[in-house]
Amino acid sequence: MNMPHRDLDVRPILKEGGEPFSVIMDAVAELKPGQSLRLFATFKPIPLFQVLGSRGFTPSAREIGNGDWEVIFTPSDIATSRELSAPSTIASASADAWPPPSIQMDNRDLDPPEPLVRTLEGVEQLAPGETLVALLPREPLFLFDELKARGLAWRGTMETDGSYRIEIRAVEQEPSP
Amino acid sequence: MLGASISRWTMAYFAAALLCLLAGLTAIAAGFGYPQTGLRAPETLVIVHLVAIGWLSLLILGALFQFVPVLVGKPLRDQALVLPALLSLLAGLGLLLAGFLRLAGVVEIELPLLAWGGVLLAAGFLTAIWPLARTMLDAPTLPLSARFVATGLASLGGTFLLGGSFAFVLSGVTATSTLVELHANAVPYHALAGFGGWLSCTAIGVSYRLLPMFMLSPDTERATGRVAWLSLSMALVLVVAVMPLMVLVGAAAGTKVSIVLAVAGALALGSVVLYGTDIAFFYRNRKRRKTELNLRAAGGALVALYAAIALFIAAAVRGTLDVHAGAITYLFAFGWLSGLGLSQLYKIVPFLTWLECYGPVMGRRPTPRVQDLVVERRVEPWFVLYFASVAIGTGALLAEAPGLLRAAAATTLIAVIIIIAELILARRLHNVAPEARLPEGARVPRLFLPAASNR
Repeated sequence: MNMPHRDLDVRPILKEGGEPFSVIMDAVAELKPGQSLRLFATFKPIPLFQVLGSRGFTPSAREIGNGDWEVIFTPSDIATSRELSAPSTIASASADAWPPPSIQMDNRDLDPPEPLVRTLEGVEQLAPGETLVALLPREPLFLFDELKARGLAWRGTMETDGSYRIEIRAVEQEPSP
Repeated sequence: MLGASISRWTMAYFAAALLCLLAGLTAIAAGFGYPQTGLRAPETLVIVHLVAIGWLSLLILGALFQFVPVLVGKPLRDQALVLPALLSLLAGLGLLLAGFLRLAGVVEIELPLLAWGGVLLAAGFLTAIWPLARTMLDAPTLPLSARFVATGLASLGGTFLLGGSFAFVLSGVTATSTLVELHANAVPYHALAGFGGWLSCTAIGVSYRLLPMFMLSPDTERATGRVAWLSLSMALVLVVAVMPLMVLVGAAAGTKVSIVLAVAGALALGSVVLYGTDIAFFYRNRKRRKTELNLRAAGGALVALYAAIALFIAAAVRGTLDVHAGAITYLFAFGWLSGLGLSQLYKIVPFLTWLECYGPVMGRRPTPRVQDLVVERRVEPWFVLYFASVAIGTGALLAEAPGLLRAAAATTLIAVIIIIAELILARRLHNVAPEARLPEGARVPRLFLPAASNR
C-alpha cells in the first residue's frame, strides 16, 4: 500500500447542488490495482460505503472540520473476485480504463422494455472500442443475456436512488460474420 | 452467471392453468357442486381444487419461475425440475378429482385415488418449490416482494401437508385417530393456508414488484410494506401451524380458538390495509400518467379483495360465517385472485412474447412496441363483464339464488374465453401490422411450448 491515494474532492459539486456519484464511480474505475481513493465530501457519504464496499473497498472516514469529511477507500486483496459476485456491482469486464463514453443516455423514465431497446439501439451505433453509458430505471436483468449473446463487455452499478448505471463497450474488432 | 432469461415452461403452466379455469367455471355454470350440494360435499371439492390447484396454483407457479429470478437477480436453479413438477401436479390433480368423484359416487373405482393424488401433488409442489427456494437462497438478501413469496411458499407447504393428511383419511388408507381428528377440525385452516397464505401472499409479493414496474413508480422498500409482510407472516404462522397443532394436541376448543383466530384476523387485516396504502402510493407517485388495462383490471381485483374481507368481517361479527363462506370464497377466488391473475396475464404474456420474439433483434432493427401486440379497447369490455359477473355470482350466493349463480358463472366463462382468445392472438403476433411483425432475426414463439433452442 505504498502507492499514493488518488484524491477526489467532490465538495464543489455538492455545494453547487450537483450529484457527484458518476464522477466518483469514474474515479474508482480509473484506480490502478491496489490504489486507494481519498474522497472529500461535505457530509459522511454513507451510501457510498455500501456501493464501494460491494466492490471490495473498505472505507475509513474522519471529520476534517466545517462539517467536511475525508474518506479513504482502500481496496482489499479480494476486490476483483468480490466485484464479480457482488449484487450491486456486476461486470463482464475487468476494471481497466475504458475510453470516456461516446454516447450517454437517460432511459430511466421509459416503459419497459423501452429502456432496453434504446440502450441496445445506442450500442449498435458504437464504433469498435467505443463505450456507452445509460441510466436505467432498475437493474436490467433481461439485458445481461442480450449483452452476453452479443459478446459485449459491460459494467454496471446500482445507484443510490434504485436506478442502474450501465457502461457498455463495443468489441474492438467487428465480430466475424 | 447473472440476470434472468425467459422461463421455458411458464407458458405451459399458464396454458394448463387456463384450461382448469375454464373447466371450473363450466362446472359451476352447469350447476355442479355448491350450492346444489353442501360446501364440503365432494362435488364442491372437485371445483374448489380444480380452481385452487389447477388454475391458481399453476398460474402462480408459472409466474414464479419467471419472476423469482427477476425479484432476486439470480438465474433459476435446477430448471430441469420445472416440467416434472408440472406433470406431477397435473397427474396428482387428476387423481385427486377422481378421488372426490369416487366419494360423490360418480365413478366407482375401488382404489385409494385421493391418497395417490395427495402424494403426487405433494411431490409436484415440492419439486416446484425446490428450484424457487434454491434460487432465493442464492440471493444475499431477499427484497420485500421475494419475502412475501417465501412466506407464500411456506404456506403452500402447510397447505399440502394438511391436505395430504386429509386425502389419506378420506381415501380410507388410514384411520389413525389424530388424523381423523385433524380432518374433522382443520379443514378451514387448510383452506385459509391455501387461499390466504399461498395464493394471496405470493400474489401480493409479485404485485409489489410488478405494479410499480409497469407504472414507473418508485419501488424502494417502504416501512409499510415490511410491516405488512411481517404481520401477514405472523397471521399465517397462527393459522397454518399453531391452529392445526392445537387441533392435534386436543387443545383447540372454546375461547382459545377464538383468541388465536381473532389475533390472526387482526394481523391479516392490518397487513392488507397496509398493502392497499402501498399500492395507492405507487399509483399516486407513478411517472406514467396513462394507465394500461392490466392496471385498471388489477384495480377491480383489489376492490374484490377488500369487498371479500368486508363480507368476511360482517359474517364473523354476525356469526354467519358457515352460511356465507361459499359466497366469500367465490368472491375471493374469482374476484381477487383470478381477477388479479387474468389482469396480469394480459400484461405478462405479451411482454414475454415480445421479449422472446424481438429480444434477439432489439436495437438492431425496428421492432413493434409491446402494446402493439394487444388491442386493449377490444378486451376492456370483457374485463368489465368479468368483474361484474363475479360480483353478481357472489350476490347470487348471498341471496341463495342458484339459477342466477349459474347464469353469472356462464357469463364469467364467456369473458374468460374471450380474454384467453386475446392472449392467443397476442402470442401469435396477430395484432402487429404484418410488415412489422417479423423483422429478420426475430423468433416466432410457439403457443405454449418452449422454443426449440435458446440460440
